[in-house]
Amino acid sequence: MGGSFNRNVLISRANIRKAKGQTVAIITLVILSSLMMNIWLMLSMDYKNNFGRYHDRLNDGHVNIAAYTVGEDFNRFIEDTLDKNPDVTDYSINRAFCSPVSFQYNGGETSQLGVILEKDDALARDVGEFEITDEGGHTGGIYLPMLYGMGNNYAVGDTIELNIYDEKFEYTVCGFFNSTMAGSHNCGLYAFLLTEDKFLEYSKKSCASESVYVSIRINDKMRGEEMETSLKEAIAKEFPDVTVAGNNYTLVNTSRYISQMICAGIMSAMAFFVLLIGVVVIISNVANYIRENMQNLGAQKAIGYTSRQLVSALIMQFSGISAAASVVGTVLSYCIFPAVNRLMIAQTGIPYRVKILPVPIMITVIFISGAVALAVYLSAGKIKKIEPITALRQGIGTHSFKKNRVPLDRSPLPLNAALAMKTTFSGLKQNVTVCVTMLVISLIIVFSGVMFENVLKDIKPMVDMIAGESADSCININLNREDEFISKLRNDGRVEKFYLFTNNNVEVQHVGGVSLVVSVIDDSSKLNNQSMAIEGRFPKYGNEFAVAAKYAKERGLTVGDEITLKIGNAEDKYIISGLIQNTNNLGKDCIMTREAFEKISSLQNVSYYIDFVDGVDIDGFNSEMSEYFGSDVNVVYNIYAVLEGTSKVYVSLITIIVAAVMILSCIVVIFVIYLLVRTQIGGKKRDYGILKALGFTTRQLVLQTALSFMPSVLVSTVVGFIISIRIINPLTALFLGGIGVVKCSFVVPVVFIIFEEIGLVAFAFAAACLMALRVKKISPRELLSGE
Amino acid sequence: MKEILIKTERLSKSFSSGGSLQHVLKNIDLELYKGDFTVIMGASGAGKSTLLYALSGMDTPTLGKITFGEKVISDLDSDGLALFRKAHCGFVFQQMYLIDSMSVLDNVLAAGLLVNKDKKALAGRARELFKLVGIPEETIMKFPAQLSGGEAQRAGIVRALINTPEILFADEPTGALNSKSGMDVLDTLTDFNNQGQSVVMVTHDMRSARRGNRILYLSDGIVMGECDLGKYKHGDEMRHKKLSDFLTEMGW
Repeated sequence: MGGSFNRNVLISRANIRKAKGQTVAIITLVILSSLMMNIWLMLSMDYKNNFGRYHDRLNDGHVNIAAYTVGEDFNRFIEDTLDKNPDVTDYSINRAFCSPVSFQYNGGETSQLGVILEKDDALARDVGEFEITDEGGHTGGIYLPMLYGMGNNYAVGDTIELNIYDEKFEYTVCGFFNSTMAGSHNCGLYAFLLTEDKFLEYSKKSCASESVYVSIRINDKMRGEEMETSLKEAIAKEFPDVTVAGNNYTLVNTSRYISQMICAGIMSAMAFFVLLIGVVVIISNVANYIRENMQNLGAQKAIGYTSRQLVSALIMQFSGISAAASVVGTVLSYCIFPAVNRLMIAQTGIPYRVKILPVPIMITVIFISGAVALAVYLSAGKIKKIEPITALRQGIGTHSFKKNRVPLDRSPLPLNAALAMKTTFSGLKQNVTVCVTMLVISLIIVFSGVMFENVLKDIKPMVDMIAGESADSCININLNREDEFISKLRNDGRVEKFYLFTNNNVEVQHVGGVSLVVSVIDDSSKLNNQSMAIEGRFPKYGNEFAVAAKYAKERGLTVGDEITLKIGNAEDKYIISGLIQNTNNLGKDCIMTREAFEKISSLQNVSYYIDFVDGVDIDGFNSEMSEYFGSDVNVVYNIYAVLEGTSKVYVSLITIIVAAVMILSCIVVIFVIYLLVRTQIGGKKRDYGILKALGFTTRQLVLQTALSFMPSVLVSTVVGFIISIRIINPLTALFLGGIGVVKCSFVVPVVFIIFEEIGLVAFAFAAACLMALRVKKISPRELLSGE
Repeated sequence: MKEILIKTERLSKSFSSGGSLQHVLKNIDLELYKGDFTVIMGASGAGKSTLLYALSGMDTPTLGKITFGEKVISDLDSDGLALFRKAHCGFVFQQMYLIDSMSVLDNVLAAGLLVNKDKKALAGRARELFKLVGIPEETIMKFPAQLSGGEAQRAGIVRALINTPEILFADEPTGALNSKSGMDVLDTLTDFNNQGQSVVMVTHDMRSARRGNRILYLSDGIVMGECDLGKYKHGDEMRHKKLSDFLTEMGW
């Protein structure tokens, strides 16, 4: 047993020594693959669990409710309700002020429902603890979620200006805190902690709406959504005038980890793509090894080695190299992970301490070595068929004599191209390797082209898909001034168009389902994002509504179905006119006409989306309106700036991903071409020598070598391009399904991608020419003296 | 007065081996003539193949000058030598060196198309040559592995002659063949030489050497002597005796 192992080691070492270049290239591919696989596993297996760990450490609520415009008896009602509920294990109720809050963020703005709490009160909470992560010596001011202390945003001692209704509040940033359920604009609500003096000062302002912030822990955190719905329903029944917003564990856990999901998805895809290419290259290498070493293998068999030993030696050689390389890859992944972590934290806002995770390392190493071992085992089967005597006599044919596919006397091709074509036809495995590589790289090229077009060049398609409807500005005004407001907009030359789009975090209850955040519209033809209705149409009449496609899919609802919606005690039946898509509430949204909404509720105020003619100062216009309508304007915000602020983190992420996948693609192309050219030159050294002796120059042979790869490069690139442009949108939708995307309609910039693909082919050709320069070293004299 | 085809002046070639310099060719001054069938003989390690490589532009000399007609080829780089070989030389190797993945015809055309772009004319000439060397039409579509040694070597001769080279170099062309096939190949070379083709052949086989009209004997990197067999007809007993005496004199 030991002897057999040692013999295998000897054979493996001899093989590696003979093919150092190929070994290095395979090691590089395995390192790249294992690096990405380990990052993907770390992101999938531990990174997201970090949310749960922080959530437990802060004893945060599984359901959080912010109820505003509450009366004195509200707290008592909530306490009674929660005490009676057997699923509730603990809760905290705090006095707060809730209102939409916007402020400068990432060069734009962010806007969300803000929960303003008194700092000491918040820090003393039993459920939903706030943890101070950084603070200075400032005594009067505000504490912000730590997300806003990252990048070039805010630092301790800075001044922040909060826009609340039509007022602006300036505070000194005293520090930052961590909160899992209220620490980001992706939570549905975000908290701000004011020092006692500032809280008192704020409470006297007219805009300060007396509110409560409730954090509830329940037995089964996965039932948070259900609990949130039932609680809101109970509140609406008892206090129909109270506005309630909230979030739950599942929603926040998902929405705070969108970047992690995108990054993990891309990492996993890239890891498998590179591994696939690596395995194909190894299979091709094994086949070439057998062909080139037929005599040696025959000799080894003749002196007593069994086929099993020879195959085992190959498996040991390749899986040993792969195991060692994948360990190196996982180590390298720990060098890269801090940078990935920083990128992620800029979106999640939850700190993550990088630590050694043995399970992902083990899975990576075992999976990659196993995949390689299996590939080698399957491709080394030919060794069993080698008869020692036949092999020693070189009697095993390495060429098919069935057909001469490019007869030189009849081929219309020039000599070099014709000889290249002959090489192409004689190397099936080489062509398969090229095809698999180029198909995968084509998909990556199409992906990067689509991301460039829809995120980096013009983010509108991404925003349309993720955010739903957007315009330049949004102004929310009380109903008593609505007519005057409309008239003013109509007569203002700066306004291009305006339309009702009220989304006040009001939820309707789908009887038999969950709460859906409703947006109220009056004329769907004015909506900027008509692609939001991915099936059917927007609602037109009083008995219609459009529901989020993800929700409809989950519940088995289709266009034309009739369901019951209720708000408080009022309910009515509605027909689903269409399915819409946006990810604001992870696919729990609906759109109703004003008429339909008012059948079960009434609007206290309305929001209008406004588009301006080019060059209008949006903030200036908003200020003018706030000044004119005074306290009747509840919310103004510059949607353009909000989108710019919140999308920046995704733009950075996509920029890095696109750059990384393009660089990776180039590396993979270089290594694969290197391996193939080297294998080809090694295998055909004699032929190259003969051609040189006959008078072929190095330039001609380099050209022939590079051209021999081009048919498979061209065919697979074209096929890859055609397939990829068809599957890129469904594939993206699949990746983003978790956040509510069902259908993706990204613009596929065909011309741009064609240029990218041409660039790829040219790059592959240039790389092949460069690698083929090795031909220069082949001298015809060696050929003559070598045998 | 014979026309000089290749001329060498103080041609030397050295190889470094195990840290020491080995002088394989030493200051050789030589003239090869048009229309001759020159045979280079010598003991193993005498430098005969090295001389052939240098004369044919397969290799560059360490010192000295080689002139082909008016052209100095010893100063050419590897691509320059490739172009020279393409334009002026034909090669027949001991191991045939046909490309396995190409048919016999394609092996010949791959060399021919380097010089002549007219495929139809070229294929016609190739067929003519195949006929002359006794390879039937059905064989030329086969692959080298499907040929006998003699057929493969005769195909090698066709490849060497497809571009009508000014000089044909043959390195032990019968070395890998049985005696019958060897004879056939020598007959072919002799026939072409009789039609005016210049031939330079390296051999250590006396029967092969007898086909030449000029025999050069190389020993220890120096041309020790030469023998003119041109005045004797092929098959003439005197031809054999003269060569035999010469070789005895040279210490063969």
